[in-house]
Amino acid sequence: MTRNKLYSLLLIACLAGFIYLFYTIHHSNNESLQVCIIKNVTGFPCPSCGTTRAVTLLLKGEVIKSALLNPFGILVAIIMSIFPLWILTDIVLKKETFLKAYKKSEVIIRTKGVAVFLIILVLLNWIWNIYKQL
Amino acid sequence: MDAQKVDMFMMMNAKYFESHHLNAIREKLMSLDESKWGLVQTIQFKEPTTSLIVSLLAGSLGIDRFLIGDTGMGVGKLLTCGGLGIWAIIDWFLIMGATREKNMETFQNTFY
Repeated sequence: MTRNKLYSLLLIACLAGFIYLFYTIHHSNNESLQVCIIKNVTGFPCPSCGTTRAVTLLLKGEVIKSALLNPFGILVAIIMSIFPLWILTDIVLKKETFLKAYKKSEVIIRTKGVAVFLIILVLLNWIWNIYKQL
Repeated sequence: MDAQKVDMFMMMNAKYFESHHLNAIREKLMSLDESKWGLVQTIQFKEPTTSLIVSLLAGSLGIDRFLIGDTGMGVGKLLTCGGLGIWAIIDWFLIMGATREKNMETFQNTFY
């Protein structure tokens, strides 16, 4: 993964995320728009279903409610607020700090203990999501 | 390295690489020493078809990206429900090429 490819991909992804977020905030009355493939096909929620609702709750300042709805929301909100700023400063200063951090964190996540721990967390969140019937 | 051996390797492993990689791979293998043949035979490549099957079945959880060793992208797909379902569909078409690129990376890390 080269620097420019990663940076442009993440910037586009964050931009799409912000557009989708503002769209849902302005159309909060009807919940007809369901994009999740797993939920549409099987009827069961996926591990990250409810993330948008959690982020909207977070924007209203209701941190505990959002964490109870889906803890992924807080993670995604942190990523979406920090990553674009970090990438833009990297582009302006012509540095590679984000790319280095990205590669380092990939290596850390891939070590066996950390990977197993994270997979268990995601599975637990999935079970919790099905239990909550998001 | 012996041209016959190189051609055998190319025939058996051509499906793991993009077509524009093949020439460079062939030239690299030809320039290698004969003693590297054992190493050449033992490298494991990821099958593009397998990653396509995984992408079709579990693409919105990002498992296809984890499989080919693209952990960062995998986490991104997992957290966003397959990029709101759109990225998961795009990846059905991109994942085979991405797997071949990763195989080329493996090859380069071994011999360059």
